[in-house]
Amino acid sequence: MIGSLVSLSAVKRAAAVLAVVGAISSGSMWAEAGANADADAFVPVEEYARKVEEFTKNAPNLNKKIEDGTKVIDNLADVPKARSEIEQLRAVVADLLGRVSDNGELARLGAKALEHSRNKLKVLEQDTRFKPEERQFLADHWRELIRQTERAAEDLDRARLEFAELLRTLQTREDFIDELLQIRRAAEAIKVLRQLTSELRDASEKLKTLIGGIKPPGV
Amino acid sequence: MRASAGRLGSAGLLASALAACIPEGGTGFVQIKTVPASSVSQPSLYLDSVKLEPLKKGAAVLSRKAGTSKLQAEVAGGQLALLCDIVVKKNRITTVTISIVERPPRCQCTHNASQGSQANRTCIG
Repeated sequence: MIGSLVSLSAVKRAAAVLAVVGAISSGSMWAEAGANADADAFVPVEEYARKVEEFTKNAPNLNKKIEDGTKVIDNLADVPKARSEIEQLRAVVADLLGRVSDNGELARLGAKALEHSRNKLKVLEQDTRFKPEERQFLADHWRELIRQTERAAEDLDRARLEFAELLRTLQTREDFIDELLQIRRAAEAIKVLRQLTSELRDASEKLKTLIGGIKPPGV
Repeated sequence: MRASAGRLGSAGLLASALAACIPEGGTGFVQIKTVPASSVSQPSLYLDSVKLEPLKKGAAVLSRKAGTSKLQAEVAGGQLALLCDIVVKKNRITTVTISIVERPPRCQCTHNASQGSQANRTCIG
């Protein structure tokens, strides 16, 4: 089922790519250098779309690890063991956050895709080689791609904030548990653990919806 | 026998000393927020020698190798002023808020280092 959905989205994206590339190549007066520039303008969008899709495919596996870790913590009465489980969860969340950080590959590719698409649109809008309706057709496609790329970037911004918040929650709860253990208050530490697992469940549900809603541009 | 035990002990001590000197590996995160977030006159910020992209909506989350980085701001005359040190730990996030209405801008750490002369200017995660 998932496989067929993935291939369906890939087909849709391929169709969108063909529509734009086909429309561009139909311009009879298109110089060779111009055609190369068009191909170049689309490459960053495709590259970004591929990476976004890769992220949305992998993130649920990591989210599942968060759910599994939460279950384990919930059933543990041994605080040091639970603490070590939290540490492992931090590694999972850090992995997710690393993928969407502001200086990560996804953010860099998104910025590049947007810059190229906006430049391309600007050039097209001033291009007098095509009939107005042809120019309009091409410009509309690029505008739509820009809109989709911006939306994907905004969704990833939201995911970044959620992961950052989740990581902060895990580390501060872990620090609090450490402090409680220092003063030999294991019973209070258990209470903190139970509260944490409830927060983790909420966060995991939120992330599921958020990641499920991210659409690569061109789909 | 006694000599070899002594050598072994020295090797153990050396290994522990070395382990204490080697920084913890891995990657952590720095979250930088500016207040006010919507200020148009956001100063150029540098993390060590790397100039940061202007912060979108006054915030950024950057992955960073574990260790200590210097957060600096470009002030009048293009000089870099040290705002604070940021300690990044593996799989943890260090949050720092920069008040940009002050001149020079000032760091507010969510969690300060507890020891050292620069403790109030060192943010840790």
